[in-house]
Amino acid sequence: MTTALLLVSHCTPKSLGDWANLLAVIRDFLSLSLFSLGGGNTLLTEYHELSVGEYCWITSDQFADLYALAEAAPGPSSMLVGLLGMGAAWREGPGWALLSAVVAEIAILLPSTLLMVFAALSWNRFQGSPWRIAFERGLGPITLGILFAVGLKILHTSDHGVPAYLVSIAVCVLTLRTRISPLWFMAIAGLLGGIGLINR
Amino acid sequence: MIEPDGIAATGPAPEADGLAPPPDHRQLFFGMMQVALSAFGGGLSAWSQRIIVEQRRWMDNTSFLTGLTVARLFPGPNQINMAVYIGARFQGLSGALAALAGMLLVPFSLLMLVGLAYFSFSSLPLVDRLLAGVVTAAAGLALSMGFKILHQYQRDPVALLLALATFVAMSVFHIRLIPVVLVAGPLAMAWYWPRGSTGSDIEP
Repeated sequence: MTTALLLVSHCTPKSLGDWANLLAVIRDFLSLSLFSLGGGNTLLTEYHELSVGEYCWITSDQFADLYALAEAAPGPSSMLVGLLGMGAAWREGPGWALLSAVVAEIAILLPSTLLMVFAALSWNRFQGSPWRIAFERGLGPITLGILFAVGLKILHTSDHGVPAYLVSIAVCVLTLRTRISPLWFMAIAGLLGGIGLINR
Repeated sequence: MIEPDGIAATGPAPEADGLAPPPDHRQLFFGMMQVALSAFGGGLSAWSQRIIVEQRRWMDNTSFLTGLTVARLFPGPNQINMAVYIGARFQGLSGALAALAGMLLVPFSLLMLVGLAYFSFSSLPLVDRLLAGVVTAAAGLALSMGFKILHQYQRDPVALLLALATFVAMSVFHIRLIPVVLVAGPLAMAWYWPRGSTGSDIEP
């Protein structure tokens, strides 16, 4: 509780009521959209950097919570941005929070969607192009490096203390080795938290 | 704006191969909604193949797999890109938006309910304790993402070096994503630029 208060007090939230702020935030999300390589998870460190650090909308603990909720909820996991948008305007009331969530989601999806429409309609000309081959082969290893950086960042954001790290590593190994649904891991870990074995 | 020849060349001929006539906007919307609802337990790609190719017969399997390749290659969430690809092929930009809306409407609305509940109740001690546990499992899932694709690069030392450099730049030196990609991307593309051969190794 005290750490949360400290985190809140070290910066002032960037208000969306100010037009200049709102446009700057939308611009940030629009430009991130085209850097969502490898399915969008590569943006997670940026989301944390912006929503916790720069804009000061939510605390690091809240970011970890929202990431977990977006992972647990059905549907494409990239909808985390909607939750971040909601957190950004929660102080202004639920109505504004919902509007902010929708705007954030549109901003992060719009550029990549337009590019994808273009790709769908002109794929024939790109298919054998050296640009396409170099892009596909070259961006793969970079995506790999980013995903490890993202994993580590989420780990440090979510876990406080030895038991937490042990659970995360166990879940990571089990995810790679078995086909057990992630929801089971979340339910069991939630139980461990509920009875006080995992703290933050 | 966008040349229609892309559709003519790759689009299905309605009468051939028992394909259905091209879907209109309404069908795209509800078809994608069906995909999203079916995939609530996971396996979105498999469900979309079952519904789009086998059940509704909008495209044959080859076109579907091409779409999947494009969706993975371009920026953006893969499943969302796939919906956009399907919508765009049949009805252009507006079709893409219809397909996208169909795919997102129900899951996004549900997530908004989850979000409203979270911001209303997360200060309760019990909820906070439960979430303190749940986030550790989610972190384990996040950690597994890199390991999941690591094996693809095991025989390519340059790829591993590029990945390591990217990781160190972000995790040790805290360089932001966009500069990292803008520097490492062109370097990697130059290294992997296809040289000499006829390009017979294009297919993944």
